[in-house]
Order: sequence, then structure tokens, then C-alpha cells
Amino acid sequence: MNEQELNELLKRSIPPVSELRRDLWPQMLRRLDAQAAEGSWFVALLSSRSAAPWFDWALLAALVVGVCLFPRAIPVWLYHF
Amino acid sequence: MNSHPYLRAYMAGVTVPTMMLLIVLSGFLIARYAFAVPIAIERAIVFPMAIVPNLFGVWNMFFLWLRPRRHLPIGFHGALLPFILAPAGFALATASGFAVATSHGLVWFHDIVVPYYLLGAGFCFALIAYYLVWKYLVGLFNEVLGIA
Repeated sequence: MNEQELNELLKRSIPPVSELRRDLWPQMLRRLDAQAAEGSWFVALLSSRSAAPWFDWALLAALVVGVCLFPRAIPVWLYHF
Repeated sequence: MNSHPYLRAYMAGVTVPTMMLLIVLSGFLIARYAFAVPIAIERAIVFPMAIVPNLFGVWNMFFLWLRPRRHLPIGFHGALLPFILAPAGFALATASGFAVATSHGLVWFHDIVVPYYLLGAGFCFALIAYYLVWKYLVGLFNEVLGIA
């Protein structure tokens, strides 16, 4: 098999690529944007916060009250974080 | 995303205290320069900067290792960490000379007296804080990194 025959064989085996009827890039961009919005950790944090049970809110409130009652202990708290 | 799960667990654990470090350092600077609390920042920052983030990372790796064996919700797993961190922090603070046990209570940074009767309440607040941080922040980063 010479080079010309190989070329012919390849042309026959690979179907011709037809022209695209529309631009696919805008669709790709929309898909990337949708994935980015779904995967945003900040969005996930907000949604998990809105689904928090009431006792978690109560614990957070207790924490805030504790900090307000003993503000001088804030550096000690910060040291342990 | 299925490779190196323990490395990802470490990274997810380290993220929160590393971000908190900005708040911690700002708090120390405000306490020192605005409220004249004599904090030796260069010594006090060692624990929150070096020990706490690494312990968070290792603790999150431990959570991942523990999950198939004895599953504990991540909030409760995180709430166990102060049982290690509080004594370690106090030991380092005592060794560094900015926490002293007196008859009135613990004196932090030569200025802040924490009476002994308040230590229990303070520890409970730490448990609450760690529970919430682990449940909502570390848990979130675990989800983002695909190890939740």
C-alpha cells in the first residue's frame, strides 16, 4: 500500500465533517456559568445556613451573648482559634 | 477527584483556621494598640498560627479515617477538639509566660483575669463555637473537596 492508497483509505473511513448549523460557544458559556453557580462554596454556605436547625441558631445566639457578657475574654478566645 | 482523600481532608481542615488567622491577628492588634492589653503578639500568635491549623487538618483527616469505622457527625467530632486544644494552648501559654495560674484565676496576657468559676462556662462556649465551625465551615469545605 503506497501513500496515495493510504490517503484514499483514510478519506473513505472518516466521514466528512459537515458545517455546524449554529455557534455552540454561547451554549458552552451558559453551561460553564451554570456549573460555576451550582458549585460556588459561598452559595452552598448560604443554603446550608438557611437550612440550619433552630438549636444551631440558639447555640449561635448563646455564643454571641457570651462574647457580649465577657468582652475582655475575646483575646483568650482568639488565642484558641 | 478520588485520589489523595487524606490530603484533601487536611486541606479542608486547614482552610478555616487559616482564614480565621486574619481575625485573630486583627483582634490581637486591636487589643494591644487600641485597648492597651499588653499582648506579646510575636509569642501569642505562635499557637493560632502554627498549632491550631495543623491540628484542624489532622483532626479532619482523623474524621475521614474514622468515618467507615465509627461514624460521628462532623459537628460533634469538631466539638471534641477543644479537649486537646485548650490544655495544649494553656500549656504553651504558660511556657511562654503570658498565662499564669493565680489564686484568683488564670491571668492571661498579664491583664485579663479569668476566674476559675468562669473557666467551665468559657470551655462550653468553646465547644459551641467549635461545633458550629466544624458543622458549617469545615463540613462545607469537605463537600467542596468531595470528601463529605
